[in-house]
Amino acid sequence: MISCADFMAEIGNYLEGEVAEDVRFQLEHHLSHCQTCTVLVDSTRKTLKIVTNAGSFDLPEATFRPIAERIMTRIRSEGK
Amino acid sequence: MGSSFQPFTTFREQFGFVPKLFRAQTLLPRVIEAEGELISAILFTDKALTRAQKECILLVLATARGSAYCFSLHYQMLRLLGITEQRLDHIVADYQKANLAPATRAVLRFTLKLVASDLSISRDDVREASSEGLTDESLLEAILTAALSGLLCMLSTGVGAVPDFALHSIPPPEHFLTIPSDESPATDEKSGFNQSAPELNAGDFAPFAFFREQFSSVPKIFLAQTRRPDILEAEAHAIRSLLVAGDHLSRTQKERLLLAGEHSKADLGASDGALLNFTKRLSVDAKEFSISDIQALRERGFTEYQILEAVATTALACFFNVLQVGLGSTPDFGARWTCKPAELKTGAKKAHLSASDQRHTDIIRPVDPDGECVARVQRGDLDAFEELMNRHSQRVYRTLVGILGNQDDARDAMQDTFLKVFQHLARFEGRSKFSTWLVSITTNTGIQRLRERRPMESLDETGFDEEGFRPRQVQAWTDDPEQLYSEAEMRSLIESGLMKLPAKYRVVVMLRDIEQLSAEDAAVVLGLGIPALKARLLRGRLMLREALAPRFTSSGRKGSMKGAII
Repeated sequence: MISCADFMAEIGNYLEGEVAEDVRFQLEHHLSHCQTCTVLVDSTRKTLKIVTNAGSFDLPEATFRPIAERIMTRIRSEGK
Repeated sequence: MGSSFQPFTTFREQFGFVPKLFRAQTLLPRVIEAEGELISAILFTDKALTRAQKECILLVLATARGSAYCFSLHYQMLRLLGITEQRLDHIVADYQKANLAPATRAVLRFTLKLVASDLSISRDDVREASSEGLTDESLLEAILTAALSGLLCMLSTGVGAVPDFALHSIPPPEHFLTIPSDESPATDEKSGFNQSAPELNAGDFAPFAFFREQFSSVPKIFLAQTRRPDILEAEAHAIRSLLVAGDHLSRTQKERLLLAGEHSKADLGASDGALLNFTKRLSVDAKEFSISDIQALRERGFTEYQILEAVATTALACFFNVLQVGLGSTPDFGARWTCKPAELKTGAKKAHLSASDQRHTDIIRPVDPDGECVARVQRGDLDAFEELMNRHSQRVYRTLVGILGNQDDARDAMQDTFLKVFQHLARFEGRSKFSTWLVSITTNTGIQRLRERRPMESLDETGFDEEGFRPRQVQAWTDDPEQLYSEAEMRSLIESGLMKLPAKYRVVVMLRDIEQLSAEDAAVVLGLGIPALKARLLRGRLMLREALAPRFTSSGRKGSMKGAII
C-alpha cells in the first residue's frame, strides 16, 4: 500500500509514462481510492495541455521588426 | 570526519593510517566511500596477484607518472610488507635487473606498456605476458591495478596532496623510457578478454541493471570484467556516487568532463569552458597542474565542493580510460585521451585526440534545417542572418522571458543575444543543431542579464526545495478548461501564472512545454543533468497548476476575470 507522499514522489515519472509496470500498477491502485491524488494528476495533465496550446508570449511581428532592423543595421555597419 | 567512518577504518587497517589523499576529500564523504570500495576490491583483495605484486605495480607506475605522492605511499606500503629499501630502490631504478620473479617482471612490463600505449595493447602483448605465466585472471588484475594507479595519481595531483612520508625523492621517470618491443599495435587484434570472459546472469546482477539504466545497455568495458563481479559492483558504485548522485556539478557538466573534448568551447558558457580547461590540465598536463588552476575555477565562482567533484570525476575518467585500453574494448564512452604522462612516450609526441575522434566525426548527423542558411552566413551573406533571426525570434524571446521573467527585459536582451550569435557564428561547427546552440547562447545571455539586474535571483541555486512541494489546491477541475475563457484570456492567465514562478522553474517550463525542446537539449542548454531538469520541470508544472487552479475548478469561472462574487 503506498501513501500520498509515495505517490507524489513518483508523479513526475507517472505523468511522463516512465514507470515500470509494477510501480504503475501500485500507483493506479492508489489513484482508485484517493480523490486528492486523482485531482492532482488530472489537473496537472490539463495544465500541461493548456500551457502547450495557449501560444503564450508571442512576440508580435510589429514589435520584433524594429529590433531586427536595429540588429541588421549594427551588423552591416560593422561589416564595412 | 569521525573515527567510525568506514573507509577510514578500512584504510587504517590496510595502510596503517589514513593517507592524506583521502583526508583532503572529506568534503565529499560519498566520493571517499566509492574510492575506498574500488581500492578494497582491486588492491586489498588477494586474488590472482598478491598485494605485494600490486603495490609493486603501483610503485613503478607512480614513478613512471612522476607522482611523488603515490611513489611515497606505495614505497612505504612495500616496506611495511617486508621489502627492504635497498630492494625497492633496485626495483624503481631498473625493475628488469632487480631479480624479480618472472611473473612479477612480466606484469610490470605489461602494465608499463599499457600506460605508455596510445591506443591499445595488442594481442601479442597479451600472448607475451601469457607465455611468461600470466593467466587471464592475473592480467585482468594487472590492468585494474594500472587503472587504479591512474585514479590515485590524478587524485593526488588534483587535491595537491603532500606525501605522507618524507622519503628520498622520486627517481626521474626516464628510467622507464626503454619500454621493450615497439611494434605498432594492431588495431583489430585487441587483447581479447571480451571473448573469454564468463557470462554473468545479467538479469540478476545489480550492477548490470544499473548500467543499463544509465547507459541503456551494458558497456563493453564492463562486460569484459565479468570474472570479477566484486569489482563491477565497486565500479557501479563509483559511477553512481560521482556521476548520478553528485549534486554540486550537474550531471551534464560531469559527463562533459568524462567526454572532454567532445564539446567545442564556443558551445559552452565561460564557466563551463573553464571547467573543461581544468580537467584537460589535470589529465594531460599533470606536471604543469598547480594551485593556480584551482584558483582559476574559484574565480569563476566554483565552490570547493564542485572543484573536488571535478577532480574526482576526472580521476575516475582516467581509471576507465586505462581500463578501456587494457581490456581492448572498443570505446563505449568515446574516451578522448589516454591519461599518460607525456614523458613516458618514447617516440614523437602524438596528438592526444586521434583515433577515436575520427570515429566520432564520422557519425552521420541528422540534417539541420538551418544548416544551409548558417553556411550562407558563414560565407558572408548577411541576408541569411536576417532569415535566421526571423525563423527563431519567438524561440529567443520566450527563452529570455523564461529567464528574466519580464517581457520588456526580454525584448531588450534580444539585440544583445542576436549580436552574440552573429559574432560566434563563424566558429559554429554544427556539432549540435543550430537551434540548440542558439538557445544556449540565449540562455547564457539571459543568465548574465539576470545576474546584473537581480543578483538575488539565480538559476543555479539547488536547494532542498526540489523535494517536498505540497499542493494546496485539490478541488477538481472542469472537464474542458479551455472552454472557460477566450484565447486571449487564456494566454494572459498562463503568462501571469508563469511570471510568478521562480526563474529556475519558469525557464524549464518555457523551454520544455512552450518551446518544446527535448529533455536532452534543455538539459544541455541549462547545464543541468536530466534528473535535475525533470525535477525542476515537475516542480514548475505543479506550481503553475497551483497558480491556475482557482480559475479552472468547477466554480472557477464565476469568480474569475470579472472579479470575485463576495
